[in-house]
Amino acid sequence: MSVADQAPRFASPADQRMWSERIPAPWWILGLILLLLPIVANNFWLFQIMGWTFILGMIGLSLMFLAGYGGMVSLLQMSIAGLAGYMVAILGPSGAANVSLGLSWWIVLPAAFLIAALFATMCGALAVRTDGIYTIMITLAIAAAFFYFTRQNYSIFNGYSGFNLVLPPKLFGVNWRDPLPFYYLTLACAALCYGAVVYLARSPFGLALQGVRDNPRRMAALGFNVTAHRVAAYALASVFASTGGILLVWQNAQIAPGTIGISSAIDVLVVAVVGGMRRPLGPFIGAFIYVLLQVFSTDILGFFGFSADRFKLIIGIGFLAIVLFSPDGVLGLWDRWRARMAARKAVATGGGA
Amino acid sequence: MNAPVVSSRMNLPGTGNASSGNALELRGITKMFGALAAISDVTLSVKPGERRAVLGSNGAGKTTLFNCITGDFLPSAGLVRFFGEDVTVFPPHERIRRGLRRTYQISSLFTGLSVMDNVYLACCGVSRNRFSLVRPRPDDALVQAAEMLVEAVHLTADKDRLVGELAYGQQRQLEVALALSGAPRFVLFDEPAAGLSPTERADLVTILTSLPAHIGFIIIEHDMDVALRVADSVTMMHNGRIFKEGRSDEIESDPEVQELYLGGGHAHH
Amino acid sequence: MDNFIKRYPLWSLIFFLLAAAFLCLVLAPWPPELVAVWGRKQIFLNALLGGITLGALYFLVAAGFTLIFGLMRVVNLAHGSLFLIGGYVGYEVATASGSWLLAFPTVFIVVGLLGLLMQFFIFSKMEGEELRQTLVSIGLSIVFADLMLWWWGGQSYSILAPQFLQGPMELPLVSNINDATGVVTWLRYPAVRVWILVAAIVIGIAMWLVLNRTALGMLIRAGVDDREMLAASGVRIHLVFLAVFGFGAGLAGIAGIIGATFQSLSPGEDTRFLLASLVVVIVGGMGSIVGAALGALIIGVAEQMGFVYAPTYSIVLTFLIMAAVLAFRPQGLLGTRR
Ligand SMILES: Nc1ncnc2c1ncn2[C@@H]1O[C@H](COP(=O)(O)OP(=O)(O)O)[C@@H](O)[C@H]1O
Ligand SMILES: [Mg+2]
Repeated sequence: MSVADQAPRFASPADQRMWSERIPAPWWILGLILLLLPIVANNFWLFQIMGWTFILGMIGLSLMFLAGYGGMVSLLQMSIAGLAGYMVAILGPSGAANVSLGLSWWIVLPAAFLIAALFATMCGALAVRTDGIYTIMITLAIAAAFFYFTRQNYSIFNGYSGFNLVLPPKLFGVNWRDPLPFYYLTLACAALCYGAVVYLARSPFGLALQGVRDNPRRMAALGFNVTAHRVAAYALASVFASTGGILLVWQNAQIAPGTIGISSAIDVLVVAVVGGMRRPLGPFIGAFIYVLLQVFSTDILGFFGFSADRFKLIIGIGFLAIVLFSPDGVLGLWDRWRARMAARKAVATGGGA
Repeated sequence: MNAPVVSSRMNLPGTGNASSGNALELRGITKMFGALAAISDVTLSVKPGERRAVLGSNGAGKTTLFNCITGDFLPSAGLVRFFGEDVTVFPPHERIRRGLRRTYQISSLFTGLSVMDNVYLACCGVSRNRFSLVRPRPDDALVQAAEMLVEAVHLTADKDRLVGELAYGQQRQLEVALALSGAPRFVLFDEPAAGLSPTERADLVTILTSLPAHIGFIIIEHDMDVALRVADSVTMMHNGRIFKEGRSDEIESDPEVQELYLGGGHAHH
Repeated sequence: MDNFIKRYPLWSLIFFLLAAAFLCLVLAPWPPELVAVWGRKQIFLNALLGGITLGALYFLVAAGFTLIFGLMRVVNLAHGSLFLIGGYVGYEVATASGSWLLAFPTVFIVVGLLGLLMQFFIFSKMEGEELRQTLVSIGLSIVFADLMLWWWGGQSYSILAPQFLQGPMELPLVSNINDATGVVTWLRYPAVRVWILVAAIVIGIAMWLVLNRTALGMLIRAGVDDREMLAASGVRIHLVFLAVFGFGAGLAGIAGIIGATFQSLSPGEDTRFLLASLVVVIVGGMGSIVGAALGALIIGVAEQMGFVYAPTYSIVLTFLIMAAVLAFRPQGLLGTRR
């Protein structure tokens, strides 16, 4: 993976244009479609499919940030999201009244982000002690430990059963769990996270992170503390994961160890890889595909004469196919297709002239 | 010397210990790779603002010496002092923040980033800005500094190109630019002229000779023309040891050296 | 060893005292005060032996994992699947043929072949692309897990140990001395576990001997240290890779039979044993057989001790060990820094 970005370089003349002019037309169209989707889509699509896509996409985005820009493939992001979700359930009100503290949302939300960031920082500090492929192993081990811990611990995490009836606060008198508000809430959060990652990629921190990925030794010789940068990236990425995690609890109205199990941790990786880990858009595309497959697995599998239980098989085979044939995910396929079309057009016009 | 002046300007911690008065002081530096002593018992001191050339055949241990000074390797034995401060076991970035810089013999650049971004990163590395999450504006001081450096190495026309697309000589120039970013006090140049064309060489000599007087450096250079034009003094290394030191003109006229270098041709690359 | 004592006299002393205290705990009968604090000695001994035999099982799984990583830099996250496949196939063979012992060679060959195929058709095609290999192995583990769930369902299976290994055996360890009569009770422990421990030790020593005393072992170790050199020396490195992958996979399969005999098999055990292998090699050091043995012992004992003495925090104990190793010796206890 090399540092490749379509974002304009900051010192280039392109930067002199208004921000609105720098966004290409397809983005405006996509934004318009997403904003107007509730006109045509039913509640199931808004709440289940799109809501879940955005949530999974945000958690995948935090992995993309670490892996694509920092070269650290972390399987921890689901645990971090889960911890933030757990914190909302533990500190705020929930059905498990004997465990939950029932604090109000303006304490709960910042605390959830903060605790998740602390956890991410600590785990990141452990994971960056070694680099390369070890990161996957270590973060997987930590994720598993956290999963088993939540299952065994009843005093904080309420063990096997977890928490139910975790509802979003009724801010501005809106029930944010209603499909329409929830759709716009997740859309707004996803757009913010996406924009933040795109913006950060060209900030000094983001540039340095990509430098650390490509040439850590040179970065140290330029005065950068490579380890500190990596750990800070974990902390920063936790913000996106936490946002997704909190929305996930609200969507399900519950959280339990199953939410943060090993297979969920792997799912986040699957989502990011299938979409493409080199661009912030990738995880959202991956999440959309994943959610569609999951939701319509019965129909799809039935079409091929399988029982609905074989969903994981489809996911596994699809994931394998992507990894084997298009390491940059669906976005990579798209890029290649466009390049081929451009080449063909060039040949055609060249031949005509 | 002018070390106190520099340190007050740079506001760096732990500087200005004038007791030794040396910018760089090595004592008994030894580096073993397994059983092989790449350098053994190297003792060397360089004054602030002094320009030193290090000569020696391939495998003499020159690059290894640089690596021990910057902290890329920890020496097996010995002591490194930078402006009086013992930095022997400091991690590389701590030394860089104290004003040490280096270039690499084999270009070590960010090939996927533009020329500007490379230099801008180098400028960030020693500023507090390195953790900033805010994109720089075009009138940002660091961006301006980066622009000036790019200008200094004649890369302004290519500043938005990806470094991977640059010609070899341009990449070598960029190496030099990265090493000059962010108020250096002492620079280690590892064969900066290797593979450059005669005009590029002349450019390089101009850049080196017009550096501010308080910036000292060590340059590894096989080309005696370049080495003697930019350096006040010369250290000769062989088999990991220093075997001769002296002022440039003395070394130039030393019969032994003449035989090794000036007469014997330049068979080292 | 001598070097270590010379370099760290204080630590050596502490280690020595700890070892002595530990031996006392194991060998001597416990005084009542100790029993009051820690419960009966039998519980302690059982936890300890349980930990050691669990460690033996972990070692069998992790040895292949660490060998494959050490030589080929492939982090095979489908290693747990190989374990589970081995267990299921072993169950089928053992129930069909009625012979527990026959399951071992069969499974070794079947799972070893599967490993060979994985290496030949997939991993060897993407040599040097560590991340991609790891992702592929994750994909494989998802597919394998679902195929196994499809075929063997969600229920749990266990393999019955053969007649001659059933029942307990007496170990030369004092469990209790009756104060009144002075009668010594020796510790009784399931025979099958003891023999599996013995087998794991034999396999471990055999692996060590092969690695350190034979030409093949020289090749493998040379490959671990410097692959380019080995490849350049004209050795058919790919055959060595295949052999190691097949052997490591076969070992994981055999461990599956043992796991099914010790405990039971069900979906999810693949992940559990994959994680155990990960933690074992992180603690012991990547690519080192002795490290895997040490790591397996530590993790096995910690897990069982935690399970007996602090059930809520047994996972935390394992994790803390891993975290401590990562913090102070990131390359693992016996790993070499790369
Ligand atoms: N990372 C390393 N590992 C092992 N040996 C090295 C390493 N770096 C340099 N050497 C050895 O140290 C000696 C000195 O090398 P070097 O410092 O690069 O010489 P020079 O720069 O003077 O040409 C050489 O014999 C080289 O092979
Ligand atoms: Mg050199």
